[in-house]
Amino acid sequence: MGVTCVSQMPVAEGKSVQQTVELLTRKLEMLGAEKQGTFCVDCETYHTAASTLGSQGQTGKLMYVMHNSEYPLSCFALFENGPCLIADTNFDVLMVKLKGFFQSAKASKIETRGTRYQYCDFLVKVGTVTMGPSARGISVEVEYGPCVVASDCWSLLLEFLQSFLGSHTPGAPAVFGNRHDVVYGPADTMVQYMELFNKIRKQQQVPVAGIR
Amino acid sequence: MADVINVSVNLEAFSQAISAIQALRSSVSRVFDCLKDGMRNKETLEGREKAFIAHFQDNLHSVNRDLNELERLSNLVGKPSENHPLHNSGLLSLDPVQDKTPLYSQLLQAYKWSNKLQYHAGLASGLLNQQSLKRSANQMGVSAKRRPKAQPTTLVLPPQYVDDVISRIDRMFPEMSIHLSRPNGASAMLLVTLGKVLKVIVVMRSLFIDRTIVKGYHENVYTEDGKLDIWSKSNYQVFQKLCPPGAWRFSHGNSKTSSGGVGRPGGKTQQVTDHATTALLHYQLPQMPDVVVRSFMTWLRSYIKLFQAPCQRCGKFLQDGLPPTWRDFRTLEAFHDTCRQ
Ligand SMILES: [Zn+2]
Repeated sequence: MGVTCVSQMPVAEGKSVQQTVELLTRKLEMLGAEKQGTFCVDCETYHTAASTLGSQGQTGKLMYVMHNSEYPLSCFALFENGPCLIADTNFDVLMVKLKGFFQSAKASKIETRGTRYQYCDFLVKVGTVTMGPSARGISVEVEYGPCVVASDCWSLLLEFLQSFLGSHTPGAPAVFGNRHDVVYGPADTMVQYMELFNKIRKQQQVPVAGIR
Repeated sequence: MADVINVSVNLEAFSQAISAIQALRSSVSRVFDCLKDGMRNKETLEGREKAFIAHFQDNLHSVNRDLNELERLSNLVGKPSENHPLHNSGLLSLDPVQDKTPLYSQLLQAYKWSNKLQYHAGLASGLLNQQSLKRSANQMGVSAKRRPKAQPTTLVLPPQYVDDVISRIDRMFPEMSIHLSRPNGASAMLLVTLGKVLKVIVVMRSLFIDRTIVKGYHENVYTEDGKLDIWSKSNYQVFQKLCPPGAWRFSHGNSKTSSGGVGRPGGKTQQVTDHATTALLHYQLPQMPDVVVRSFMTWLRSYIKLFQAPCQRCGKFLQDGLPPTWRDFRTLEAFHDTCRQ
């Protein structure tokens, strides 16, 4: 895989999430991008079980268990600011067995689904982020396949993002900044999705109905 | 045999001419005898004078007659030895004991062979001169005796020499690692890793670069059985643009000849313009193949900034989704393929 940037596209004023997604994908198609199937990234939150916490008012860490359709045989387990574990999909079954230590947060499942677009060596995924029945926002992922070092191609990525996101072009993702000359990996993308989902969770629910 | 008959006829004329000379000499000596003896004793002075003059006249006539006869015969004799193709050696054919000394027929054979040899050597020399790799015109014309120096046969350099050249180049560029292997016998294959940007498989013929395949840093360069994969191309258009799709030979030519992809801007299909090939055509120098390899590697190294260098003409990173994939041979500046003209 190449270097990937995940960002949020705000919903256009007076438009629904779906309409904004359509605007964006039309722009991509005008640019010459070609549709290449669909994608899905999901995330479930786990609390540390109360029984394992100490008595001194310790707050439980949150663990996120994620899947990415780009890696159908893998399961990602991440802590906030912590390590990222890449495991087989059997990991989901293991989580059920670990109920005593990690408990699934109720109605915490958040996911983004949408269409993949290919433009030259760029892979663009525009997705609708949903929590339960409601659409909560739009995710835009851009991957530049040939390059493996984030700092090498950020300027190039930025130029591409500007070509179809205009004023909504994001800044460099946090995962790009702290490591120089390190090979970018799938976990870095999952961290970006985790951060995006957390940001969207905190945002007010967009009053849109009947998106699904 | 015709020669022999011809000569025998001349010989007859020869013997007649010899007797004619004898006759001439005797008639000339009779003239002098007549003069020496003077007038014979006759009754009258008048009678003596008359008889002397008549005798003298007769003698002169016979000299004249013999001289004419000699001249006639000498025309018949001719110049046989000068007309013969072998000049005087043709006289060997007169030897009557052919069986014991077959010198003449042997000489004829030798002459024929030598003639043929000269003719074929002339043809070969003309052909070889046409194919000469040297461009200076004064090779054969100035001094035909001096043979042109043999071309350095760079295709048969010892492997140890190739190894040395490659390892020297490897040490020259710290951001580039070159791994040499010989999976298919004598010709070397290089796996060049340029930073964390790209990998190039270089197929060598001795020190000539025969084929290059450019791939991404994270792309697989080995086949399933662990050999270098010299046939499959990169999945990314940016590397395909750097990478030639087919095999080609290292040959004379200028740098513009292989830029075949200009005619299809923004083509989504395979990019045909292969800059690595163009570079090979540019850096050709048959006499000094190690310089060629070094120049090629210097040029290749400029791709360390493949994703970081904006185009020197339009100032942008992307054009049709591709970064500036062209590097100027002299300045090594980055240009988009369409911005370099
Ligand atoms: Zn340009």
